[in-house]
Amino acid sequence: MTILLGLFFIFAKLSLFSFGGGYVMVPIAMGELEANHWATAAGLTDTVAIATMSPGPVGVNLAIGLGFKVAGIAGAVAAFLGMILPTTAVLILVAVCFFKVYQNPVVAAMFYGIRPVVTGIILYAAFSLAVKNGVILAEPNTMIHAGYNLSFNTFHLIEFKSVLIATAVFMLLAKTKVVPAAIIAACGVIGIIMF
Amino acid sequence: MVCVNSTDKIQPTNSLLLKIYITFFKLGSISFGGGYAMIPLIEHEVVVQNHWVKREEIIDILAVAGSLPGAIGLNASALVGYKIAGIRGALASIIGSLCPPVMIVLALSVLFEKFSSYKAVQDAFYGIRPAVLSLIVFAAYKMGSTSIKDGISLIIAIMAFGSMVIFDMHPILIIIVGAFAGLGLMPVKSAGSRKDGV
Repeated sequence: MTILLGLFFIFAKLSLFSFGGGYVMVPIAMGELEANHWATAAGLTDTVAIATMSPGPVGVNLAIGLGFKVAGIAGAVAAFLGMILPTTAVLILVAVCFFKVYQNPVVAAMFYGIRPVVTGIILYAAFSLAVKNGVILAEPNTMIHAGYNLSFNTFHLIEFKSVLIATAVFMLLAKTKVVPAAIIAACGVIGIIMF
Repeated sequence: MVCVNSTDKIQPTNSLLLKIYITFFKLGSISFGGGYAMIPLIEHEVVVQNHWVKREEIIDILAVAGSLPGAIGLNASALVGYKIAGIRGALASIIGSLCPPVMIVLALSVLFEKFSSYKAVQDAFYGIRPAVLSLIVFAAYKMGSTSIKDGISLIIAIMAFGSMVIFDMHPILIIIVGAFAGLGLMPVKSAGSRKDGV
């Protein structure tokens, strides 16, 4: 029961600060779940993959996937409710006359500051997942042993198979309209071949 | 300026609510790739197909959806539902757009848990993890291309990133600091260049 309440409140808190889409939740969720020893970074990355492969809002999917990982179906329900109840309440309050709030200069000024912050946080999410998944600056326990690792003495710098995949995926996303779900499925096959 | 107060008085018929539910169930089933990917689909269904919302209204709705906390696609769905049929319309669109992802994420999570010890599944995830990294970098790139428009916002973004990497600052704290920075810096910026894109 404590776990379920904990999940509910973690995701309630997350949802109220997840401006700018689900990915901004990744570093916050990671901190909270690791502090409680509920999930590892690799587990979190795999759940992000599942959340992205599924249709629907990434943030909500992430809550369901992580909740399930921590405490099964009941955990998924708790995290899901935590994710949607507070924001739905905010929405309904705002919807009552929402354009006034949006066009308020004070709100506009706040968002002028929040948006670049969100950009920085999302970049940090990618950076810290890269470290924790052994793509860059790997520790001995996160090292990808089937990869091409470049180390300086014992200090790990970079793993090239992962970087190759990441670069190709970024180009696909930027230059084509291939949907992320298809890219993830294809990378699963590539992973089986390359590793 | 559009205000949607008037919709409070509309008594939506059950068939309208059902239609909203089904429309957003459909949108929820095909909206791969997060909220931004859902936006053109929502626009097609509610503006082009059903004429529930005017095109200029949907642009404002999407801007508000992106400004509120929570999932953008879900916020947009709820606001559109509210616009069509008040609170009950908002609930119909929220429940409709969430049913498919809930079922699919749960199914995939159960499958993953069952098969995660297989070597092939583990190798597949070695390929998938860097792809997820790029998805996140790309999300930052898209966010940055609309939010970083001048030197000040670039500095704010770099400081946000740096304070997490170096000082391990909590993201929620940085968001709050960012809001105050915006409040403090916006007048400076408006005085410099009048155009203030929201």
